[in-house]
Formats: sequence, C-alpha cells, structure tokens
Amino acid sequence: MNAPVLSVTSLVKRFGHLTAVDDVSFELMPGASLGIVGESGSGKTTTARILAGLEQPTSGTVTLDGEIVGGQSRRARLRQARLLQMIFQDPYGSFDPRRTVAESIAEPLRLHAPGPAAAHRARVGELLDQVGLSARAGESLPRELSGGQRQRAAIARALGIAPRVLVLDEAVAALDVSIQAQILTLLDELRRDTGISYVFVSHDLAVVRYITDTAVVMRHGRIVERGETEQILRSPRHPYTRLLLDSIPSPGWDLDRVARDRRALDAL
Amino acid sequence: MRVLAKKTPARREAPDGGAGDRRDALGVSGLSLTLGTGVPLLADVTVRVGRGETVGLVGESGSGKSLTARTALGMLPRGARATGEVTVADVDVLAAGRRRLRELRRTRASMIFQDPRASINPVRRIGDYLTEGLRARGVPARAVAGRALELLDQVGIRDPGGALRCFPHEFSGGMLQRVVIAGALSTEPELLLADEPTTALDVTTQAEVIALLKDMQRAHGTGMLFVTHDLDLAAAICDRVYVMYAGRIVEESTGSGLFGAPAHPYTRALLEASPSVHGDRVAIRAIAGRPRSLADSPTGCSFRDRCPLAGDDCAETVPAHRPHGQSLAACLRPGQVTP
Repeated sequence: MNAPVLSVTSLVKRFGHLTAVDDVSFELMPGASLGIVGESGSGKTTTARILAGLEQPTSGTVTLDGEIVGGQSRRARLRQARLLQMIFQDPYGSFDPRRTVAESIAEPLRLHAPGPAAAHRARVGELLDQVGLSARAGESLPRELSGGQRQRAAIARALGIAPRVLVLDEAVAALDVSIQAQILTLLDELRRDTGISYVFVSHDLAVVRYITDTAVVMRHGRIVERGETEQILRSPRHPYTRLLLDSIPSPGWDLDRVARDRRALDAL
Repeated sequence: MRVLAKKTPARREAPDGGAGDRRDALGVSGLSLTLGTGVPLLADVTVRVGRGETVGLVGESGSGKSLTARTALGMLPRGARATGEVTVADVDVLAAGRRRLRELRRTRASMIFQDPRASINPVRRIGDYLTEGLRARGVPARAVAGRALELLDQVGIRDPGGALRCFPHEFSGGMLQRVVIAGALSTEPELLLADEPTTALDVTTQAEVIALLKDMQRAHGTGMLFVTHDLDLAAAICDRVYVMYAGRIVEESTGSGLFGAPAHPYTRALLEASPSVHGDRVAIRAIAGRPRSLADSPTGCSFRDRCPLAGDDCAETVPAHRPHGQSLAACLRPGQVTP
C-alpha cells in the first residue's frame, strides 16, 4: 500500500529550443490527490499530456504501478491507458458527435475488457448512475447535453475500466460556478468510494485547495514550490506562489501588494 | 456586426420621468427584450451606473448579463424587440437612429470584450488600430501619432514606438487587452462596458489589467459596467453589484455587502458553491439543477425550482425588489439562512 501508484522522475520535454517541462519529479500515492498549479506556459498541461502518453518526454521516466511506461507500441499504450485516464477542459472535443454518450462510454470497455454486449450495457448503466446522469442522457448525442453533463459523461467514460489514476486538465474551468461545485463534489465522492488517485491540473488555487491534498506550483517549466496544499496556501515560501495568491480577487483586494510581489519576483 | 435597434412605439415612461438621474453614465430602466419569435430574453432589467462608478453585473451563462451590456449600446440580437428605457450619457439608445448610435459608440461609450483578438484586425498593425480609432474620433492627423504613443505608454506598454509597428499576434493576450483598453479609453468616454475583460487572462495578468482599468477609469471619471461570472472579482472591485438570474436582476448590493450579507438565496447559493483560498477550508455546497434562461424558467420566481427556501407562494408572481440590509432582493424570504 505504501508504494506510489504514479511516480515521475526528472521529466524533461523540449520543443525545439523551448524547454516546456524542466526536470519535474513528483509522486502520487494510491487514493491521493495532487494538484499541479500554474499559469499558461508553465508546462502544467504538457506534463499532464506526458502522463497520459499524448506526448513523449525528451528525457525522464513515468512509472505507473511499479512499471515504467512509455513507448509507442500498441501494447504499451493500452497498458498506460488501462491504468491512467485523462479528462480535458472541453469534453466536447473528445466525444464522437455522431454517437450517443452511452456508446462512447462503452467504447473503452470493449477495448480493454472484451465481453458480452449485455454486460457492457449493464456496466454503462452503472457508470451513468455513478456520475449522476439519467439513462435518457445516455441516449443523447454529446451536443444535446450541457457542459456539466458532458463533463460527467467524460468522467463516466474514464472510470469505466477502473483506472488507478485520473489526470484532470482544467476539468472544471469552463463550467458555471453552480455546475463546477456539482462536479467537484462528485469527484470528491468518487475518490472516497473507489480509492482512485487524481492529478488535478489547474490555474485556480481555490479549486485546487478544495480537491487536492498536496500540490506543486510550476513556473516556466520548473516546480518552484511543493508541499501540502493547505500549507502552501497558508504560508507560501516562493515569491511566485505569493504573487499567485495575492492576485486572487477578494474583499479588500490590494492591487499595490500584487505590484510589490511582482517586483520581488522580478528581483530574483 | 449587424446592429438592429428597433424603436418601440409603446416605450414606458419611468415614474420619475426618466431613467434615473440624467447625469448618470448609464441608465437602464424596466428593460425587456424579446426575440421576434416570441422568446423572452430579458425581463424588467434596471441598472444604473453613475459617473466614475464601477458597477458589476454578475451571473452564470444564460443569465442575460452580456445581453444587457450590449443593449446599452444598441446592439440587439437580430429581430429583437426592446421595451423600457436605455439612456447612455443623455442619449436615448432605443430611440436613436444608426448615425446617432455610431456617434455614441465612437465618442461617449466604449466596450471591451473577453477576447481582444476578436476585436482587432489581425493583419493590420497596432498603430493602425489606434490611429484609425483616434482619427474617427476627430483627432487631427498631425496629433494622432503622438496621441497613440501617449496612450500605449499610459497602459504600460514598454517601447510604445516599437509596439505601434507590431502586429496583434506579436502580443500576448494580456498585452493586447491593454492595447484595446488604450483604444477604448482614448476619447475619455463617459461609459465603459467591460464584458468579461479578464476572463481569458492568467490570474497575475488579470490583477495587472484590473489595476490599469481602475487607474484609467479614475483618471477620466468614466463609469464602468463590469460584466463577469466571477463573484469574488465583482465584489473586490465594484462599488455596487447586480446579480442576474434567468434574464432578471435578482439582487442589487454594495460590493462588500454581497459577501457580508447576501440577501437573495441565489447569491448565497453561489457563494456557498464557490471554493475559496481565504479563511478556513470549508465544504462547498452544490446547487441542484442547472442555470436557466428566461424562456425556460418557471413561473413566479425563476430560481424557485432550485431554491431550498421556496414555497408555494413563490410560484404566484415574480417577487418585487425589496430592501434587505444593504441589498435590494427580488425574494419573498430575503436573508434567510438555508437549512
């Protein structure tokens, strides 16, 4: 139980001259939730894409359930997908627009767990129920669902093959506040019930605070601060983390303080 | 953009003889908007922005907040009918003709949007964008270049001379939004309509752009209507905030009052649904159901099907705005705590 389900060691990704991810390492224990926080260009999404096998790292390793993953062979990719699934900001792009949501949810089941169609149908029904979608929503096309419902469907599809890790890339960023809260509480319940682990990639510190136990803060491809999420938010050590925190609007928001933080960071 | 401003014969005269104080930057009173097909979009919206005031318009998608802001400049959806009164800097917007509206938008009221790239021609230089606007606003040709440099300098662009020769794609989103703000405020308008101007930006960039907007606004005495889905942001920068739900204003409050004592159950529910980085870590409470548009909202109070306090009386009529603490709330049970 004390072996990490996911560990990332010295990950580097270069695109030409640009180093998008620069020596990133972290570990994720079973049932834990890790936040990757950063702004655009911080390398957080590239890191997530490497975890899901959508990018190949320039160097460094990703270990899932004790085995190094990577490689482009069909077998290697299937194994990686079996253990780790990814949720994107806009699930619309990852659903086939001509198939019903239930068909899309059944697809990974057919791929990873071949079996009778009736068993798959039953499992799809279970999954829809688990994420709070009606059977009718399952018979709908993706465009007939709202953003929140589509995100639920994406979660159902990812959970179908019981992966160990779910990577969520800005998964609630495009949702209205009231819907965002529904998805966040759903994710919380799922983690409690199934013991799945999350890598939660977000620019939103408030959301990260709610959904994660530990976090890393990334800037220009490097991790500048890491620790327990609550600790990082209460007493940030790196000037960049402090800038991020002070930039969040609140009653009595002090914009001069933000400017001071920015100067402190530039002086580094 | 195709703009249709329909004059309506049966324009209602507000009881006080006009849309609030004539000196206001924006007065919207009893505004209702209906599509030609009969689909209602806005109902009885009243919004006031005083000179130099920052007013927030907050709501989820489909609440009608952007629509309200666009109507203020006469940008109605195709075939829509508007009733009520909209006054910007003494101009009666709903009655104004094309030429009057163009004049208004050119000189006295500006608007900025979420994506600056959508409002700048990508194949023309930043300098062209700014000087074209200034020329249209009547700045003499000789003075235009100097004025453009000055503007860029004011919004904190380093090397304004070089920036004038740049194309929009050479700027980041935050920098381009600064350029758009420079353009929007170049005529020192009485009213600035800002529709989610920082939503696409990183938080640290958002803070810088907001600081800039507030500074520019203070310097020119511009009234600003700030449209956003972000309650924290609205409460942090606005003097007053209107909360919209399903095409109606459900609460009007001071910026600080919104957080201290939300009066409408919807406002309270929104606050309880938003995780926060401040204070102790508390559980969030999701709101059941999904946000509605005016067309598919229930009779009476639009929020009643999602409201934990709703009773049978909520179905009867749309609740009138009644004072509660620092707020005006359209609710029969304002300020009651959710069980």
